[in-house]
Amino acid sequence: MRSIYRPPQGEGIHPREASRHHVEKGPGVLAECLKEAGISMNDVDVISYAGGPGLGPCLRVGAVMARALSIHYKTPIYPVHHAIGHIDLGRILTGATDPLVLLVSGGHTMILAFLSGQWRVFGETLDITLGQLLDQFGRSLGLASPCGQKIERMAQQDEVYAALPYTVRGNDVSFSGLLSAAKSLTKSVGNDRTCYSLQETAFAMIAEAVERALSLTGKTELMIVGGVAANQRLSSMLHEACSRHDCTFYAVPPKYAGDCGIQIAATGMLESTVKSPARIQDTFIQQSWRLDSVVIHYSASMAS
Amino acid sequence: MQLIKRGAEADIYRAQWFGRDAILKTRNPKSYRNIELDTRLRRQRTIREANMLHLVKSLGIHSPLVYFVNTKQHTIVMQYIEGKSIHSLNNSEILSHCDLMGQYTGLLHSAGIMHGDLTTSNFLYGDRLYLIDMGLSSRTTKPEDWAVDMRLIKEIFNSAHADIVHEAWDKLTSGYAKTMPQWRRVLKITSDIEQRGRYARVV
Repeated sequence: MRSIYRPPQGEGIHPREASRHHVEKGPGVLAECLKEAGISMNDVDVISYAGGPGLGPCLRVGAVMARALSIHYKTPIYPVHHAIGHIDLGRILTGATDPLVLLVSGGHTMILAFLSGQWRVFGETLDITLGQLLDQFGRSLGLASPCGQKIERMAQQDEVYAALPYTVRGNDVSFSGLLSAAKSLTKSVGNDRTCYSLQETAFAMIAEAVERALSLTGKTELMIVGGVAANQRLSSMLHEACSRHDCTFYAVPPKYAGDCGIQIAATGMLESTVKSPARIQDTFIQQSWRLDSVVIHYSASMAS
Repeated sequence: MQLIKRGAEADIYRAQWFGRDAILKTRNPKSYRNIELDTRLRRQRTIREANMLHLVKSLGIHSPLVYFVNTKQHTIVMQYIEGKSIHSLNNSEILSHCDLMGQYTGLLHSAGIMHGDLTTSNFLYGDRLYLIDMGLSSRTTKPEDWAVDMRLIKEIFNSAHADIVHEAWDKLTSGYAKTMPQWRRVLKITSDIEQRGRYARVV
């Protein structure tokens, strides 16, 4: 069950409009979910909500719903880090045990590995994320967000590479220069060729950063999660990068790659096995909540 | 030839060069990369690395001697160094090298060079401390670029050596201050860059 806010063509997300969408659709989505699962709210053991990071007005809608349900049904409540949700759901679905994680979405571009109780960052973007790069470029062409799929389709129309800046700094990447250069490249070589060159450049940067992190950490599994994980070209490049390092490649099924409620449920469920629920007065949201500041109490290696 | 390391962007082989122990560093094509982009990067990095390995010696930084460069096949033959990467040492050993690592970094920066991949894996300790792997290096006089080096090594401390991150960073920066007159400015920008990161709240 899913209802996604779509901003008008060529525009970005408006926080007020997005949160209004959530208010209008939230209860309906929940009702449909319960109906689909054939259960009632009384059967629900744990409630979790996305505590951050994200747009304040939108997070608040989810938190308010979660809080109201928790109080009314006396159900334990857990605030969950949005991106940890991506990772936990990915581990459950793919069966990866101790992976290097590539998290690529609108909010994150990070390479992570689990080390003494926390997800540690082994590489990340120094400015905008991969999702932002694709969306902002797409919007400059007048596409509606999210633009990733449309850019991928346009990129498949061309095979000639036009030079674009390639910025890898150690294990980190930087996309802002690439974005500006791609925007102006459209004038000389057209949209399809720019899309192709943009994808080739940006994904090669990511693949290189991943290879660096693999050789640094010696991990034998790579798992890719987040909205951009649905991109075929990116995943085929990573697949090849992995085979160079004798590393098993896991991709989350496209249906669950992007943001979805079940990722929040997955982490909430895991947390509920080791942690007592949050008190209602502590069920805050944090618009800026850094992933590597979250202490993980449950087992992050999926032995079970 | 014996493969000794399969790195992210190059493979390293043990070799002989006119009777000397040497390594062959080869940047093989990556099949997943667009060929034009791939060739551009391999060529550029091979040339850069060879130049910089040579140049840094005049600054008082130890680095492998370059014996031969093949710009067609994108390979470099260089001196073999008997030693271990700092990354592979134990915590107290790592800490004992941080000051000198900082001094090396300061020497590079004050000569207008950024390393571009400043990690604990790229310092070797044998008979003395060596700096290696300069394929991502560049000439730059922008303090912002130097700060990217500092941020990277801090990120590596924070991830791969999380138990000693604070001590290691303190030692490294105190070494850095010895050889880099503008150290204050660079460290200030380093923390600016960290705060620019997504959702960052820097400690």
